[in-house]
Amino acid sequence: MQAKAASTGWYMEQWRRWAPLAVLAALCVLVSLFNPNFLTVGNFVRLLNSAAIPVVLCMGATFIILMGSIDLSVEGVVAMTAVVASLLVANDITSYSIGLAAAPVAILIGGAMGFLNGFVHVRLKTPSFMTTLGIGFAGLGIATAVLGGLTVRIADPVFRSLSLGRFLGIPMAVWIALAAFLVALTIQQRTRIGRWIYAIGTDEVTARHAGIPVDRTRILAFVLAGLFYGLGGVLAAAQFGQGHALISQGRLFTTITAVVVGGTALSGGVGSVVNSVIGVFIVVVLANGMVLMGIEPYVQQGVQGLLIIAAVSLALDRSSLAVVK
Amino acid sequence: MAKLIPSLEAALVNRRSLLKGIAGIGAAGVVGSAFPRPAIAQEATWTLANSLRSLANPYHATFAKGGEEFAKSIGAKYETLVTEGNSEKGISDIKALLQRTGGKLIVNVDPNDSPDARVIVEEVKKAGGFVVTQWNKPDDLHPWDFDPNYIAHMSFDGVPNAEAIANELFKAFGGEGGIVALGGILSNVPAIERKLGLDNAIAKTNGKVKLLDFQPADWNEQKAFDITQAWVTRFGDQIKGVFAANDGMGMGALEALRQNGLAGTVPVVGIDGIDAAVSAVEAGEFAGTVAWDPFWTGSMGLAIPYAHVTGKIDITKEPKEHREFYGTGIIVTKANAAEFKSNPPKTDFNDLWGKVTGQIQYRS
Repeated sequence: MQAKAASTGWYMEQWRRWAPLAVLAALCVLVSLFNPNFLTVGNFVRLLNSAAIPVVLCMGATFIILMGSIDLSVEGVVAMTAVVASLLVANDITSYSIGLAAAPVAILIGGAMGFLNGFVHVRLKTPSFMTTLGIGFAGLGIATAVLGGLTVRIADPVFRSLSLGRFLGIPMAVWIALAAFLVALTIQQRTRIGRWIYAIGTDEVTARHAGIPVDRTRILAFVLAGLFYGLGGVLAAAQFGQGHALISQGRLFTTITAVVVGGTALSGGVGSVVNSVIGVFIVVVLANGMVLMGIEPYVQQGVQGLLIIAAVSLALDRSSLAVVK
Repeated sequence: MAKLIPSLEAALVNRRSLLKGIAGIGAAGVVGSAFPRPAIAQEATWTLANSLRSLANPYHATFAKGGEEFAKSIGAKYETLVTEGNSEKGISDIKALLQRTGGKLIVNVDPNDSPDARVIVEEVKKAGGFVVTQWNKPDDLHPWDFDPNYIAHMSFDGVPNAEAIANELFKAFGGEGGIVALGGILSNVPAIERKLGLDNAIAKTNGKVKLLDFQPADWNEQKAFDITQAWVTRFGDQIKGVFAANDGMGMGALEALRQNGLAGTVPVVGIDGIDAAVSAVEAGEFAGTVAWDPFWTGSMGLAIPYAHVTGKIDITKEPKEHREFYGTGIIVTKANAAEFKSNPPKTDFNDLWGKVTGQIQYRS
């Protein structure tokens, strides 16, 4: 009797593990039934291209959400780093032209903003929600002030090739996103920080008792997130060939949605960067599919909302949650 | 207890008036050199002012320049008031200036928000000044209800301009084939007007141009990028052109086309005339954009009231299409892009109604 119950639990756990992937597969089948063009190589490349920046951003956000915290500074950091990167390469406002070296500078600025997030959150004990919201607004504000409402246009074809260049027929941004994913996966699986993040997300008090340097890990996780957002900002600037304060509009919602739809719990401790990649593809395929299927614009948002709820309810193991907030 | 409450109230009032005082000092400081001078000096000549959101955006920077140039041409004092997106500040700056000039003020306002227009108009009328409003005002607030102080309201009409730019798009691909269109936030007035203009243009082609799909991208570049990518998959080379209800979305669509090797092959049009779009027009990637004319709105919003106060016209005798009117959008195409950039449209300060294109219509 007990053995049977245990095996049902095992099946349920397996199902939950694979649910996001099943949702993604079902979605792909559905869209391709309506429009066979979905399955073309060209569309596959376009999907990868649309997914590149969200994947990079999600790599950062996943670590924060795994700790049970939240990071709302995505748009601020992306705007800030995109503007800085565009001002450092050949452009129509400043006389700097440091080419690809602008990328590491912008990424480091992202890391610094992440550090600020983590430091304020941990040392001043302010909730991550408020801290990151504040730092995010500050980033947007600085980006607006630096450019004074203008748009800076990038005139550096080498920098733009970060997005427009192709290798084996696949856009460079996709390769960069793949690299970001591999780095994040390594951090998650092979480093102590990765394990500690899970431990903190599962039960911070126990983690502290076990001697895990919780505060340091938290700050480091925010720095990591900031670095990934910085890379996202660089890619956004390269993709549009310009930088302005509104370049990151809508990124926050997509990022958090993708992480959660992928099966990472907002309560922390459950999920992984692999889940987030699947989550990004669910969101991207959904947006692409709506247009391919010719669904009325008025209906799209409703369908999107319903599917997100469905995906989350399939993927999350609520049986082990005593309280749902 | 009963005694306590009035004293508490008094304390509150005191604190409030104190705060007001501080705000007033702050506002005066912003207005300019007012502070050290005695506040009530009866002015003999008219002061001109433009009130706008921020000098940081190119539209308003040119708007302010228009006002300045007009004031210079008649040798009048001129001030620029900046709201920084704050309605309270916008209104209190105008009040402060009305007081300082003893009501001898002509102010040309782009209200931060529609309801602000009513407050500003009432304040100006009370003080005996003159006001012109731009873009935003409540539908039921009309200049002729505040004669003569509320001189006029000016705006630009999305319908004919969207129709004109759509026609430029059709021309660019030979006038026959399918197009896709990106719209703004569905409930925005400009989004509705611009969609209507596009629909009109398509209807007039008698089926030669087909709207393959319309998607709202909410004025968002990224959304426009993703939608355009999906369109390339769905329609492939059926797409002969892309219509975007503003330049920002147009740029997103253009970058999506570029990723698919279609930039310059599939023409795009936008509206607003931002620099990036004008450059894309020059590069042959955009078929065109519509530029508004902030120098004209910035100068004419002062020139018309000035003509009234100097007796050149009597605004109360002018027809309604001279009180609430649309200006002329400038269609920028490859033919005039370089000239538009190097030599922006000229405004003749004496030609009060030359660029007026009809009375404002309320479509909602």
